Amino acid sequence: MASVLDYSEGTTLLHRANPVTKVVLAVCVCVATFLAQGYGMLLGVLLFLVALGAYAGILRRTLALLAGFLSLGALMLLVQTVVVRSGTPLFLWVTDQGLDRGARVALRLVAFALPLVMMLSLTRLTDLANATVEVLHVPYRYAFTITTALRFVPIFSQQMAKIVEAQTARGVDFDTPNPLRRLRLMLPLAAPLLISSVARADDTALAAEERGFYLRGRESSYKRYPFSAVDLACLLPGVALVALGALF
Amino acid sequence: MSQQGPTNPLVSLDRVSFTYEGGGSPAVDDLCLDIAPGDFLGVIGPSGAGKTTLCSVLSGAVPHHFAGEFRGVATVCGMDSCEVGLTDVSRKVGSVLQDIDAQMVASSVEDEMLYGLENFGVPHDQIPGRIGEALATCGISGLLHREVATLSGGQKQKLAIAAILAIRPSVMVLDEPTAALDPASSLMVFQTLRELNRREGITVVVVEQKVALLCEFCRHVAVLREGRLALLGTPREVFSHSEELRSMGVDSPRVTRVSNLLRSRGLAREGDVSLTVGEAAALVSRVVGERGSLAWAATRPPLRLEGGRRHGEPTALELASDPMLTFDHVGFSYPGGTASVEDVSLELRPGELVAVVGQNGAGKTTVTKLMNGLLKPSSGRVTIAGLDTSRARTSQIAQHVSTLFQDPDRQICKETVVEEVAFSLQLLGTSDAEALSRARDCVEHFGLPAEAAPFSLGRGQRQIVALASVVVTNPEVLILDEPTSGLDYRECMTVMEAVEVARSRGCAVAMVCHDMEVVSDFATRVVVMADGRVLADGLPGEVFADEGLLARACVAAPQVTQLARRLSADVSRGYEGVTEVHDIVAVTEGLVG
Repeated sequence: MASVLDYSEGTTLLHRANPVTKVVLAVCVCVATFLAQGYGMLLGVLLFLVALGAYAGILRRTLALLAGFLSLGALMLLVQTVVVRSGTPLFLWVTDQGLDRGARVALRLVAFALPLVMMLSLTRLTDLANATVEVLHVPYRYAFTITTALRFVPIFSQQMAKIVEAQTARGVDFDTPNPLRRLRLMLPLAAPLLISSVARADDTALAAEERGFYLRGRESSYKRYPFSAVDLACLLPGVALVALGALF
Repeated sequence: MSQQGPTNPLVSLDRVSFTYEGGGSPAVDDLCLDIAPGDFLGVIGPSGAGKTTLCSVLSGAVPHHFAGEFRGVATVCGMDSCEVGLTDVSRKVGSVLQDIDAQMVASSVEDEMLYGLENFGVPHDQIPGRIGEALATCGISGLLHREVATLSGGQKQKLAIAAILAIRPSVMVLDEPTAALDPASSLMVFQTLRELNRREGITVVVVEQKVALLCEFCRHVAVLREGRLALLGTPREVFSHSEELRSMGVDSPRVTRVSNLLRSRGLAREGDVSLTVGEAAALVSRVVGERGSLAWAATRPPLRLEGGRRHGEPTALELASDPMLTFDHVGFSYPGGTASVEDVSLELRPGELVAVVGQNGAGKTTVTKLMNGLLKPSSGRVTIAGLDTSRARTSQIAQHVSTLFQDPDRQICKETVVEEVAFSLQLLGTSDAEALSRARDCVEHFGLPAEAAPFSLGRGQRQIVALASVVVTNPEVLILDEPTSGLDYRECMTVMEAVEVARSRGCAVAMVCHDMEVVSDFATRVVVMADGRVLADGLPGEVFADEGLLARACVAAPQVTQLARRLSADVSRGYEGVTEVHDIVAVTEGLVG
């Protein structure tokens, strides 16, 4: 089953760029989002991300992610309209300032989360770990911990799906149309998931240790991660975006 | 074995004991074992005998990774494993863990292969050659650029072996490498191990429950019981003690049981121990040829088996009643079109046990999920106890159907065993007090510790907890997905006896199973699947007699059926249709007078 964090094959500039460059580009987008004040700029950032997705051949995934984050953003919008009480009332409890603040928060949330997840689907986790160790001098054990945690996310969500499946077959009504009830039913299953996850993480740690984990240093990686013109090409739009964000 | 040999042992355990932190009794206890260079040692034993701990001792994970009390001396490739670090041991001993997904440290095949080579500082110019060789030896050269998530179980297992092989260890330790694999993939994994052992001279130590594989591939077999070495010798020596092994909870190949029984009846000589179907056929031919009258035998009609009813024939009850479950031209495909089933029609009546057999990916698990309503058919109709599964909710269907999943840990969610079992009843609307009292009876029947936390029990015991919570509700339909995988012989019998009890009460049972011996012992009907379609649906005897059909489905007939087929062709028609060890011996006794 393909998950949003799975690496997507390709040969575009974004695929070929140094993993560190991709992290920097994603961070640039986040910074630009943070600096941007106007709707035009925020929407522009989202458009830029969709265009990047299309270029890298992950348009469908980008749009699916966008839809997912937008629904989360809609929830944020709703919360903000309730929290913000200043401004002129428009309808029900919503004020014009509340709506404005909510919409900005929602768009920022989406534009913040999307580039980070997109970066992960265009970078192999091993490359990300190796490059951060080589280029940024991050100690390997931290790089390994973070990338392994990311690698486990889809594995655990599959595991949870299987647990839910087994419980449904047993008669627990996970197929109820009520989402709150579903959530309440899911809570007690956190224990079995946690137990199997901890056991698995410990096994992976052992497997890594038995293949020389503690010997690994900056020079160990077979693949090298030098910077090239490709990285410059990827960084320029990022820098431009930050400048635009500061201006608009 | 190596004690008598002139070479020094490569691995030597001298009175090794290890107790896990918080564990009451030692997991291995005063264990002495020498392994000679170049050996191929199989390790078998009942659940909780210390097999996995033995693997950990050999790989250095005990005492370096797992906390606990270690006594004795473990010498591995000249190093005292207590005096050097785990990394030092790992240079010489490669280890493949039981959970193959946890073994993977990277998400692509290439990165997985690189990992150990990079860490152990293999010069970078040698790395491509090493990877190429290791992948070629394991027969998976074509997978280099694949993502690990897209590999099958068998491919992952070979990748794990290749990744270790590339480091060029002297010893390779594998913990139940075939537990999750179908027979064809299991065989390929052992063939790979034999390659490494013969060609590369790597010493192999493998924990394995599939006795037929141990017989075919291992040079020596060690039997563990309660943390100690119970038996050690060649497969022939070890499996000649099949009765003793059985009392310990260890299975023996059926053909070995035939030869052992012939010996105990005085028909075969001391030292006549058959490990394969061919050997058993030769032995029986010799026994009959020496002492029997073949002219008489050739004209003798087939033997009627006890009870007058051939095994697997339906009883009057089964024929009279209406089907409990029907598949009417059912089709299903997953989004993305990976695995699917097409045009499946079958019926399941009360008191029947239908085994669904076939290779991994044949669509067996999909069929079981269509049965319990987890999947809804995209064409055709599935009816269960009068409910159309497309219209009913899965939780409603669960009022009639119980499923025992392959992995008990997905099913277990309560804090004590008795609560876990009672939960199944509560879900069906039984009052808490009654549920608890019925659960207590059930837990007692299976001899489980009622107040223990399910996750503190061993794998086999957890499977029995899951079984108890499935049968306690007296379901009308029982679905079993690989109910016996990963279990020792005794646990396997506990599971199957409980299934038989349910069946005798009129429960209809559907079982997906790779173990053809279990299928031939318990199934009343066999459904053979391949590529999402049903190839055959018939009595076990008929299905297993059809060699062409089995070949198309990549299924091997049970050993006794294969033996009976050979003997009925070569020795006497009296063996025709025989499926039990005792009947082979009975017919042989009849022939020799």
